[in-house]
Amino acid sequence: MDEIQMVRDLYPEPAPPSAQVIAREIAQTKAALTEGPKGRSLPRVRWGLWGMGGLVAAGAAAAVAIATVGGNSPSPSGPGGVKLDGKSAFLVAAYNAERQPTGNYWHANVVSGQSYIIRAKTGTYAVTGAASESFHWSGAKKGMGESFNIRDLPVHPLTAQDAALWRKAGSPSTLRVWSGDKYLTFTTQAQKWRVTGPEVGTDSRGGGTFLDGRSAQDMEKFPTDPAELTRLYLSDRGDPAGLKHLTPAQRAGAARLPYTPAAKVSRVSSILGSPIPSKARAALMRALAAQPGIHEIGRDTDPLGRQGIALATDAQTITATGEFGNPKEEQGTYSTRAVLIFDKKTGALLSRQEELVKPGGRYAEMKPGFIIEYQALRSAKWTDAKPVLPAEPPSFH
Amino acid sequence: MTAIHAMERHHMTGEPPPRPAENFDEVIEVYFAEIRRYAARRLGPEAAADATSQTFLEAFRQRRRYDPDRGHVRTWLYGIATKVIGKQLRTETRALRARARVGPDRDGDEHADRIDDRVSAQSLRGELAGAVASLPRGQRDVLLLVALADLSHEEVAAALGISYGTVGSRLSRARTKLRKALGGTNPMLTLEKQHG
Repeated sequence: MDEIQMVRDLYPEPAPPSAQVIAREIAQTKAALTEGPKGRSLPRVRWGLWGMGGLVAAGAAAAVAIATVGGNSPSPSGPGGVKLDGKSAFLVAAYNAERQPTGNYWHANVVSGQSYIIRAKTGTYAVTGAASESFHWSGAKKGMGESFNIRDLPVHPLTAQDAALWRKAGSPSTLRVWSGDKYLTFTTQAQKWRVTGPEVGTDSRGGGTFLDGRSAQDMEKFPTDPAELTRLYLSDRGDPAGLKHLTPAQRAGAARLPYTPAAKVSRVSSILGSPIPSKARAALMRALAAQPGIHEIGRDTDPLGRQGIALATDAQTITATGEFGNPKEEQGTYSTRAVLIFDKKTGALLSRQEELVKPGGRYAEMKPGFIIEYQALRSAKWTDAKPVLPAEPPSFH
Repeated sequence: MTAIHAMERHHMTGEPPPRPAENFDEVIEVYFAEIRRYAARRLGPEAAADATSQTFLEAFRQRRRYDPDRGHVRTWLYGIATKVIGKQLRTETRALRARARVGPDRDGDEHADRIDDRVSAQSLRGELAGAVASLPRGQRDVLLLVALADLSHEEVAAALGISYGTVGSRLSRARTKLRKALGGTNPMLTLEKQHG
């Protein structure tokens, strides 16, 4: 027996906490790593002996279970699972966005569509029309090649419930819909990828040009400080690089337009659809979430049926009058919000979509959360091998 | 990966430890429970979770400064944990006082017998706890890293960023103080003195 052993005995082994307690604390610690700028006060957090709070916010709304907190590690589930509110879950997604790998080829595969209301005698339902899928890939350096392709997607019922009503109406293969100022007719026929022709094509000597004309090397230098990103992309003055393609007069006009939260969401979504470095991506996500009029809303689902963690703007009220020849049933007031949905595991942007908040007018028969219009990233990432066009069309609901 | 699996993978297969700058999640998974145990022993169960979390947040901030040549990730984390705990002197003192009052929560005749061999286990504990509490922080940190974390002198040096010689001198001074505090009451120590 010596002093060391006596000291050891003075400090008995504490009763070990359960594996679930440990798992929860681990997950909370990981989540806390996503804390915003140092010094930001989070009065409602439970942890935080020196003002560096954890993220166990009290009175959290929209609690979601974190399935994974980092890398590809499956997480504690069931009683050991971690409940985080929308804000914390979003921060976890942002944290995970920092750890995505790069490669030789970047591609962005975007599915977009607009919802239309079909007022059939057998019941009103919604379809996605004017739907298309684009696929753009580019080598990391000039000379590695670049390609842009589009295919139109058949008109399709928006949700499974809409599909049932579409069948009830006799599964019509052509649909005539009102589109703002005119009628359009869509068909349910599938289309092939367009590989040549206007707007599409392959340049085998191209590549190496990304967001606003930046080279891959320039992309690496993308700012990673949320304050700097806010100054560049989220303040009214904005980054002139983003307005490069406009004439000086247009640029001046654009600068006078109010920079609404919805416009910020749109701007950020286009940046996040480009190969900015993962750190910048995470910082931009955090910067956007910190903007007034933009909130973390917890879980949401995109038109491709993928669940993620979302940010949304405050609702905006829209009133359609008889102007532009709107039929009576297309007139009236409703409100919507712009939503960005992120994959929780990778932090990848899944979708930017406009959702119905308060039904009314042309969407009187739809429920809150109804997707009015969207651009979903079916896939956007670096790969080592040259990307190939997906043969299978995207699957909805 | 669960924490248990991660630990098994690293401790039982001898796989290299995760590198903080590259995979910090894994660092947390592998070492969280161990660091928490150390924090719980020094601060008591209530403060342990916060201190452990704080340790990993601090480690995450410093992850690029971690130098594998200067020691194992585990050692590095013990060093950070020790600094975090050091800021909670009052909690630690309170925990020590509580420790002085209650006996070790272990069963087993052998242990009970050993305690009975002492003149008064209770008063001994009180004096020892008081002596540990009154050690200068540097000496206490060295002593407890050796006693509770089983770190070698080299590891303690790396963990606290002090020289090997300083570890030895601090430990020696700490032991002398404890011996003095207990000298009159512990026959084992008297015995040791006779041998030594």
